[in-house]
Amino acid sequence: MSRPVSRASVLWAIVRKDVREYTRDRLWAFLTVFTLIVTVGLYWVLPDDVDESIRVGVSGISDPLFLSGLETAEAEGLDLVVYPSAEDLEAVVAREADAFATGAVATVIRHDAGVNAPEGADKVNAQLGLAFPDDFVAATSAGERTNVTVYIDAAVPDELELAMSSLVRELAFAIAGQQLPVDTSNPMEVFVVLGEDRVGNQASARDGFRPIFVFLVLLMEMFVMASLIAKEIQDRTVTAILVTPARIGDILAAKGISGAMSGMAQAVIILIAIDSLTPQPALILSLMLLGSIMVAGTAMLAGSTGKDFMSTLFWGMAFMIPLLIPAFAALFPGTASTWIQIMPSYPLVQGLVDVTTYGAGWAETLPELGGLLAWCVALFALGWVVLRRKVQTL
Amino acid sequence: MSEPAIRVDDISFSYGDIEAVKGISFEVAPGEILGFLGPNGAGKSTTIKILTGQLTPRSGAAQVLGVDVTTDDPEMQANIGVCFEEKNLYDTMSATENLRFFGSLFGIKDVDTDGLLRRVGLADRAKDRVSKYSKGMRQRLMMARTLVNTPKVLFLDEPTDGLDPVSSQAIRNLIKEEAARGAAVLLTTHDMHEADELSDRVAFINEGKLHAVDTPESLKLRHGKRSVTVRLREGDTVTERSVSLEDADAGELLKTAVASPDLMTIHTEEATLEAIFIEMTGRGLEG
Repeated sequence: MSRPVSRASVLWAIVRKDVREYTRDRLWAFLTVFTLIVTVGLYWVLPDDVDESIRVGVSGISDPLFLSGLETAEAEGLDLVVYPSAEDLEAVVAREADAFATGAVATVIRHDAGVNAPEGADKVNAQLGLAFPDDFVAATSAGERTNVTVYIDAAVPDELELAMSSLVRELAFAIAGQQLPVDTSNPMEVFVVLGEDRVGNQASARDGFRPIFVFLVLLMEMFVMASLIAKEIQDRTVTAILVTPARIGDILAAKGISGAMSGMAQAVIILIAIDSLTPQPALILSLMLLGSIMVAGTAMLAGSTGKDFMSTLFWGMAFMIPLLIPAFAALFPGTASTWIQIMPSYPLVQGLVDVTTYGAGWAETLPELGGLLAWCVALFALGWVVLRRKVQTL
Repeated sequence: MSEPAIRVDDISFSYGDIEAVKGISFEVAPGEILGFLGPNGAGKSTTIKILTGQLTPRSGAAQVLGVDVTTDDPEMQANIGVCFEEKNLYDTMSATENLRFFGSLFGIKDVDTDGLLRRVGLADRAKDRVSKYSKGMRQRLMMARTLVNTPKVLFLDEPTDGLDPVSSQAIRNLIKEEAARGAAVLLTTHDMHEADELSDRVAFINEGKLHAVDTPESLKLRHGKRSVTVRLREGDTVTERSVSLEDADAGELLKTAVASPDLMTIHTEEATLEAIFIEMTGRGLEG
């Protein structure tokens, strides 16, 4: 007696079976819970604030108006030290001299001078210096163009150059009461362009690690799915399904659904646990859904290549390590290299950083969403084809 | 005469350059058990894979319940049961869960798991995970799974291979019950006793070719020696003499032997299926 059986009920039966198998596997169940606990724990242990205090040497100040501007700058996290002259400032930044706090103006002693440091004075060497011209206040008050020389140690990140330019502009604004065309030039680095002032808006270690933690959970999901798929192939249980009314497409679709579902569920759990599902929950969930589908496709690839536990582990690692690179790259400020930007996981990581750290919206995240969707389709299709071929040749 | 449940017409299949099945033809009627006898690598499992839609034949045609096996028709799969050689069960699930899952693939919501497990003697272990089962228990569960959709055609690939005598007999009884219910059974085995006990007809397959398809009795009659062995006591020793029934004086010789006070035993020599297989193919079944 034949019974009509719908594709949906077959699909649902396989998905339920996959979820049951997943939860019954003690190793993967343990690793899943362990990863969730460890990542959430680590997230909350990491510092949430950033010490943005930067020691900056300045020279050429004497005007009270100028000093009030400097106080404002100090309130924004700059530890300003007044140096006697532009030459002294350049020598300290160039590491040819040391500066010591001995009063309102630091004492600068050149290394080749053969003079001992003042007793009890703290060393106040700066890696950044702003040499203001003598006519800075007069020129800015009159609305005239003027130049400020910025000295920067080679080890200082590019972002600080922008911060210095911003500081000079703010000082000019404080003095003149309006926006002025102030140029900053850096004799060691050629020229510094005024840019976005990120002072007070730096990403903390917690923010930096957020995409890594979320992505780590997705990668763990990839391992689990790959292992379950490989086991189904090795045990030939998949052939037992194929001699029922279930079709190969049902099996593949079920794997995709169960993989994406569990990946998404875990990603949501961790995002809630690290309080990162706001302020754009729909956008974050969209990113995570696409990421989960991409990871499910990758799991199909890894699972169909693995012949046993060790080879599945090997192939899982082979896929995981390159995918992790963009997540680690997000830890460092600046734009990622082109080869990192073309990695499948880059749009997901960058999208998460933009949304959760810098509050980007749908419009700003559109390029990442598009890139992620393209990778998602490509990897899922590839995983589908490879797994289908594998099952057919059993 | 009823329509055959399985009809195979000159099918062939190759794995790359290796020809696994070479133009075989046979039929299996509803309620009939066809024993597919052959050594490992003879083409038995490949034939089952073709008939269950797992492989597409290179040439020829095959129908199961009137459906072309190459059409990938779920209607056919809904009415067959396959017992694989490998124990492909879900280890992390219990017997009941395994049966329910496969039942759901057939669209059966209320699988009689208790009844099925009772039939294979696993009712008391229904809730245990399969990973805790012995080989024999797994095989019995495989049989229960094969019957989950009350199939009209059963494909059984070495269902008693490597099992203890008790488990083997339990599975043989089950096969007989299913055939009595009306299911057509294609049973592959290299156990000649099993084939002899269960099969209505046997098919000899070797190196992808069918060498014979007939009832065990007919094969024995055609290929057996038709002789009688007489054992007589001679002092402290025993002599054994084979009397061919084809000989003209066979009747007299047997009369004399029966009348002799030294007669110990007298028995017929019946050809075994294995002996016939060797005679026809030139190789044994255990290869």
